[in-house]
Parts: sequence; C-alpha cells; structure tokens
Amino acid sequence: MTAHDWFVEHRTEYAARVLNDSEMQAFEEHLARCDDCNAAARRIEEELRWLPMGVAPVTPRPGLQRRILDHAVGRAPARWQQWSIPIGIAASLISAAIGWQIGHQAVREPLAAPVASTPAPQLVPDARLTALQDTLSIMRQAARVMQTKIRMHGKEGGMVIFADAKTHRWNVVVHGLPTAPADARYQFWFITADGMVRGAAVNVSPGTPMIFTTGMPEQAHGEVLGAALTMEPTTATNGPPRGKTLAHLMLAEGA
Amino acid sequence: MPTPHDRPLRLERTRSANDRDAVAAERDAALRSRIAARDESALAELIELTTPWLLGVAQAMLHDADDAEDVVMDAFRVLWTTALSGDEEQGIVPLLLRITRQRAIDRLRSRQRRARLVAALTPSEVERSVVAAVEPNEAAQPGWHVHTQVHAALSTLPPEQRAAVSLAYFEGLAQSEIAVALGVPLGTVKTRIRLAFARLRTSLAPLKDWVP
Repeated sequence: MTAHDWFVEHRTEYAARVLNDSEMQAFEEHLARCDDCNAAARRIEEELRWLPMGVAPVTPRPGLQRRILDHAVGRAPARWQQWSIPIGIAASLISAAIGWQIGHQAVREPLAAPVASTPAPQLVPDARLTALQDTLSIMRQAARVMQTKIRMHGKEGGMVIFADAKTHRWNVVVHGLPTAPADARYQFWFITADGMVRGAAVNVSPGTPMIFTTGMPEQAHGEVLGAALTMEPTTATNGPPRGKTLAHLMLAEGA
Repeated sequence: MPTPHDRPLRLERTRSANDRDAVAAERDAALRSRIAARDESALAELIELTTPWLLGVAQAMLHDADDAEDVVMDAFRVLWTTALSGDEEQGIVPLLLRITRQRAIDRLRSRQRRARLVAALTPSEVERSVVAAVEPNEAAQPGWHVHTQVHAALSTLPPEQRAAVSLAYFEGLAQSEIAVALGVPLGTVKTRIRLAFARLRTSLAPLKDWVP
C-alpha cells in the first residue's frame, strides 16, 4: 500500500471528521497537494450533509433564540433578558400574593388575578391563599422553564411552563392572547407517547395572564413529551384535538 | 401504531424531486443573499427553524446544555460574519450543521473530558440518546422529514455498525476510544465505521434539500 492509498481509503472517515487528531492533520496537509482527494472529500461531505440531523431536536430554552441573534450580529444582550418573561410573571405572582394578603387582612375583596391550583372557580379565601402558595412553590423550585410565542389576530402572546421536577407539576401561564370567539375556547393538551391528552380549558381575559397549576396525566397515557395549546370548538369536550394548534412545547430529555 | 421511522425509505430521485431541488436551491440562494445583505430578519428566521437541530447536534456531543448553546451561538456568529462571504456551494442548513458539529468537536477535545464520556457511555445509552426515535409534534417541527429519513437510513445499519457510527459521528469519540468503550479491537471499529459510512453515503446522498 502506498501512502496515497491510505488517504484514498480514509476519505470517508476524513469527510465525516471521525479520524483522530493526528490523522486529520495529515489528511489536511495531503489535501493541499492532492486535487483528487480534495474533490472526493468534498463529494463525500456533500453526500453526508444531512447526517447530523439523525439526532433528536432539542427545544431551545426561553430567550435563547434572541441571544443567538444578538450574539451573531455582535450585540451584547443583558444576561437577564432570557428570563425577562418568566421573571416578569413570577414577579407579578408575588405581587399578587402580597396584595392578596394585605387585602385579606383588611377584609377587602378577594384577589382578582386568575390564579388557581385546579379548576375551582369559587375557592374560599383561605383556599385561594393556599393555592397561591402552592403555585409560588412550583415557581420557586421549577427546574425547567419553557416558553413559546403565539401570534393571533395581530397580537403576540405566549405560553410559559414552569416545570417542577420534584412534584411533577407544572405552572402554565398563557398571556397576551385575545379572548376566544364565542363558539371556541383555548384548550391545553399534554403531548404523550400515546397521543394528545386533554388538559385544562384556558379562559383568557385580555391584559391578564392566565395561570394554572396542573399535575401530569395518568401514567397509562405514556411519558409526557410536551404540551400544546389549541383553539377548540366549544362542542368538542372529549376526544383528540379538532381545532387549530396555536403552540406546542416539547420537553427535551429528562424532563 | 406505526411511527414515522417505520415508513419505507423513499429516496429515489424523480423528475418532480429534481424540480423541488431547483426550488430549494432558489430558496437557499435567496436566504443566503438576504443574510449576506445583513438582513437580520432572515437570520432570525433561520435561527428559529434550525436551532432545535443544531442544539441536538451539539448536545449529543457535549452532554451539557450551556456548552451546546454556546456552540450554536458561535455557529451563527461564524455564519453571519464569515461563512457567507465566499462562494459556498453547500446549502445553508448543511453548512450550519457542519459548523456546529465542528465547533462541538473542537470544544469536546479542548475539554479533555472524553475519557469520562467513554467511561459513562454504553452502546445502549448511545442508541437511546442519539439515534433513538423521538416523537415531537412531527408536523410542527421544521426539518422533521429529513430527520425521519436520516433516522431510517441509520436504522438499516447492523446494530454494531450503528453503535460505532453513533459514538464516532454523533458523540465525537476517537476510534481508539470507541474500541475501549465497545470492548472490541481497534481494527474492528475501523471496519465497522468504514462499512457503515459506505452504506450511509449510498442511502443519504439522494436526500432532497431542506431549506427553511
């Protein structure tokens, strides 16, 4: 075998970048003076160009895409910007909690913010405080925060999920969306290994984030892979989604 | 219930496929020229559509979300500042994938932590973490059809070849390290990788371009 034979034999491994460092360096030096190997390596690179997409996609963390853009064009983003929406929501919740406690002590009207731990529209004040404390505890120990934008009728809102890995519960925040049409409603779904599992109906009030806490669906549905928000006809109260998907969030590994 | 990975491969190049390739080439050129003209909205579109895949590439290799994000940020920085200044023949998405992968390899080697990775990995874990089927909302994930075809091509490999390719290509391990990880002679690893890539070249070369 001549020295050139070795390079011919290893063209594919070079193009795939799976040679060791010294072999890669030797190949680079060879390519500088061998047109045949150069052309062959480029052709193989072209053939394998989509191989990296054999990996599973990973859902970007909130704010990452903005940071990528800023970094690419040379802007220096403030580190806190990636958490601006989640921090804002958490801050508004804390403010609501403080306000509620003051109001509760003064025997005023109960909290107006739509915060509930489960769908329970007529919670008594102490139960609401407990629900709020529960919501805040998830917010505090959330190991994962995911968010996505939702554009509807010229408005830009979004959905944010604070996932508590310890209790396997989520705080879900839907914000900035217009009121649903009279014959439709926003519907939250779990995306599981066995399909879509219906979660809570989401009642949106313009200008006020809708926040609710939810546990995971029963294990019989398989592993939870993510969540989605759809606009469902009011007549569709069971079965799979029938309406338009407005947003979805996929968990990466280990959620 | 059949998954997208159960579908047969349809990689034949037809006349209509060639037409679609022509359209893809035009779209690629348009996107390239917008980015070369410093159109930030074009870059933002590209970021939104490709970041999940680039993060997947980097994270599979680095096993660290923060490092993976840094690599992807650098890849777009390279694309924006230098990579489009020349006469690139490669599509813009494959170019990004290649830059990301190369940056991840560089970072992996600079970390000197591959020995720990070798110790931590077993072939079954590689199968699960890198090339195992994932089931996000298929219709909503741009590029998903490319993933299913690549995954199908990987699935046709014998398990021992697939494990070697996964460790070498997706995890960034050297062939000598793979030999240690799999407990087989180095020559065996080289043979498996060579045979696997020969098959992958045949099955992946006809894949149609995906342009966001």
